[in-house]
Amino acid sequence: MVRIGEAALRLERRRDGQLWAARNGEERPVRVHRLFPWSEDERHVSLRDAGNREFALVGPEEELDPASARALEEAMVAAGFVLEVTAVLDIEEEIEIRVWRVETRQGTRAFQTHLDDWPRETPGGGLLIRDVAGDLYFVPEPGALDASSRAWLWAFVD
Amino acid sequence: MSESGLKNDQGIIERYLGQPARLPDDVRALGEGALGGSVRLYAMVDLDVELGLTQRWLLLGDQRVALVEPGGEAHAFGRAEVRAIREEPGLSATLLHVLGRAEEAPLAELRYTHRQRRAVENVRFVLQQQIEGRDVDPGDADVEYARAVAAPVREAQALVAGNRRAVLWRLLAYLAPYRKRLAWGFAAAAVITLVSLVPPWLAGYLIDEVVRPVQDGSVPAEKGATVAWLAVVAMALVYVVRQAAALVRLRLMAVVGELVARDLRGEVYAHLQKMSMGFFSRKKTGSLITRVTSDTDRLWEFLAFGVVDVSLSLVMLMGLSAVLLSLDWRLGLVMVLPVPAFCWTIFWHGERMERLFLRTWRKWSSMTDVLGDTLPGIKVVKAFSQEAHETGRFSARSADVTEEANRLHAAWTTFWPTLMLAIQGTTVLVWAFAVPRLLGLGGGGPTLSAGTFVSFLLYTTMFIYPIEVIGQMTRTMNRATSSAHRVFEVLDTEPEVVDVAEPVRLRPVEGRVAFEDVTFGYDGVRQVLRGVSFAVEPGEMIGLVGPSGGGKTTVVNLIARFYDVTGGRITVDGVDVRDLDSAHYRRQLGMVLQEPYLFHGTVLENIRYGHPEASPARVIEAARAANAHDFIVKLPHGYDTLVGERGQTLSGGERQRVSIARAILHDPRILILDEATSAVDTETEREIQEAMDRLVAGRTVFAIAHRLSTLVNASRLFVMKDGRLVESGTHAELLAKEDGIYRTLYTLQREMAKAI
Repeated sequence: MVRIGEAALRLERRRDGQLWAARNGEERPVRVHRLFPWSEDERHVSLRDAGNREFALVGPEEELDPASARALEEAMVAAGFVLEVTAVLDIEEEIEIRVWRVETRQGTRAFQTHLDDWPRETPGGGLLIRDVAGDLYFVPEPGALDASSRAWLWAFVD
Repeated sequence: MSESGLKNDQGIIERYLGQPARLPDDVRALGEGALGGSVRLYAMVDLDVELGLTQRWLLLGDQRVALVEPGGEAHAFGRAEVRAIREEPGLSATLLHVLGRAEEAPLAELRYTHRQRRAVENVRFVLQQQIEGRDVDPGDADVEYARAVAAPVREAQALVAGNRRAVLWRLLAYLAPYRKRLAWGFAAAAVITLVSLVPPWLAGYLIDEVVRPVQDGSVPAEKGATVAWLAVVAMALVYVVRQAAALVRLRLMAVVGELVARDLRGEVYAHLQKMSMGFFSRKKTGSLITRVTSDTDRLWEFLAFGVVDVSLSLVMLMGLSAVLLSLDWRLGLVMVLPVPAFCWTIFWHGERMERLFLRTWRKWSSMTDVLGDTLPGIKVVKAFSQEAHETGRFSARSADVTEEANRLHAAWTTFWPTLMLAIQGTTVLVWAFAVPRLLGLGGGGPTLSAGTFVSFLLYTTMFIYPIEVIGQMTRTMNRATSSAHRVFEVLDTEPEVVDVAEPVRLRPVEGRVAFEDVTFGYDGVRQVLRGVSFAVEPGEMIGLVGPSGGGKTTVVNLIARFYDVTGGRITVDGVDVRDLDSAHYRRQLGMVLQEPYLFHGTVLENIRYGHPEASPARVIEAARAANAHDFIVKLPHGYDTLVGERGQTLSGGERQRVSIARAILHDPRILILDEATSAVDTETEREIQEAMDRLVAGRTVFAIAHRLSTLVNASRLFVMKDGRLVESGTHAELLAKEDGIYRTLYTLQREMAKAI
């Protein structure tokens, strides 16, 4: 494993579509795993190889050349992708599940949560909802939603 | 998967997920054109390159893979071109690269949410197997897609929530065997309703026909007294009849509810016993226990009281409205018109309370989470001196609960007095309309008699209860249908392993077991056993060894017929296990597991579990053979000592020896030992090993063991890896194989043992 402070890390999205990392004469395709997706600086990432071994640990102080920084940024967007809720249209309780219908930045979506799986508050004041399939729905500012959405969410936020 | 299983999964997708339940026909046509043949497996890919929601389709054919874009454009590449598949999983999206030649653009890049993950992984699995030189038959494409996409919701809920009315009718059908009692219960409730209408009428009659005529001298006092006393007696009779009917109704309905709950409990539990292991691995035990206990209890409450209360409240409201309107239609309208508004207000209050309860429940969960975290981990709390922190955390959450509970109490304590005030407001309105007419001052109607007015006032007090019941009717029915649904879900699940119409009973089982090109997958696509073949003679002891995930446990699960094979066949004494009477067959089968399970009961009952008629002498003999007799005798109540939950605590080794004694008494022809000695210390292991040596003698044995040293005396060892039987032979034969997997594993274990 390569640690911060060692030879410069280079990252590039190659023709085969994969993100490649190179350091100390060694290179391999990697994927980005965000270490603190909700709490700390988002540029704490672990670069994992095909065998899920850590190739490099990147911190906010890591100096990357502009092309590598851009490649990392793009990979982080994909790795950190969650559906961002812009309005709550309906929440209905059914047998053993809660059925949500929401507008997201990506389009209208219906999803289901377990009845006792409560939305989680993130350190930035957002609300994170995980559905039964494991998909995450993020409400960045519950207080900034329209009145109807806030009314639907009332039971789930403090 | 059965036809109903496919329909159920497609129903879930249509109802909840807002995506096609099967491959759209136009996409199939386009795909088949691009594939040059039929679609063998498919998945929806729901994110585009910008991570916006979309509907792309990934289709797998026999020779090619196709992608159909939302606009209808289709492109394909050969399956043989796929060199590797790389995955970049993220928080909610996965990026999959299907790679062709090195240094060239990927054959496909797929982005999808976790919802599509299982379906995409099905396709990926088949391609991955092809890369590794294995051919997989993917099964029915529609079934696999529906199963994969619906799985998360199905596992959370199991059945499509369906039509609540249909569930309610089905539940009410359970009352059919008790229709006579039910009819009596309804009749008694009808009597209660009818006689309840009598006292107010009688009061009005007494005032108008007796009291006032006597007071104004138009009727002699003696005659008036006689009629009045008759009315008093009638009133007394009414109350006696009412309470007698109440007694009949309460008792009959309570008993009927209890009988139906018993029927449901029995049916659910009997059905659970028929279910295969796959069902129990998908369902949490706690959830199943709740269905047999709490849900049936809630149904008792609904059937015993809810059904009658709701129907009779409706009758009562209609009856009261009719009586009031017939007594005086003008005043009647004043009283009756607001009733729908009152019912709606109670319904609205119920909805509001649901949200308040939800909020309180969330806070309550948050508080109990602290308890659940810290009490089991109290050593860590103390070791890090976090007592004050944890106390503060708990207090804060407890205060949150109190705040929410107070909000809840504020809501209902405000609502009910306000509602009562509104109902009493209508009574005041009745007064306001009635007084001018009582005094003969007009007021929009003829003069009102005092008796009619008193009757009216008494009837108005009877409105409150039925209004309350009807207002809460939706909630009552929702709770009952939820419970009924959970119960029916179990009843509607078909066992995956079923006996044929005329099953074979082997008498006796000799213990010859053969696997013939057996393939098996728990989810239909991913195979955990691939073309496994072997033949075992009666009395052989087979050691199953190999890395984790190799398929060892699956082999023994299939021998026990906990699941049916998906390809090939397993025979016992030459007969396909699917043709055997499974109950009879399992009586010839014994299992000793890593975590032996003892039921709550005595040691004696546990040893006798499969043979309750076994004599004490045979029990002791089995216990001696299992090296269990000595420690059992030392227990305070010997063989009558209670063990299992809430009983005497036995060590892992002691529980194991009791389970071996149980297996010895059971005297199986085929014995399965699954890591039976791995959870005990060396001395105990020696004692258990001795017991095992006696147990295995003369039987066909399949033993799984992590410690290979315990299997060196096995007749043969089967090495399982990646679902295949890769090596077989005696310990000596396998050790002689250079670069053999067994030899490598054995050498590694010996070196580790030496190092320790």
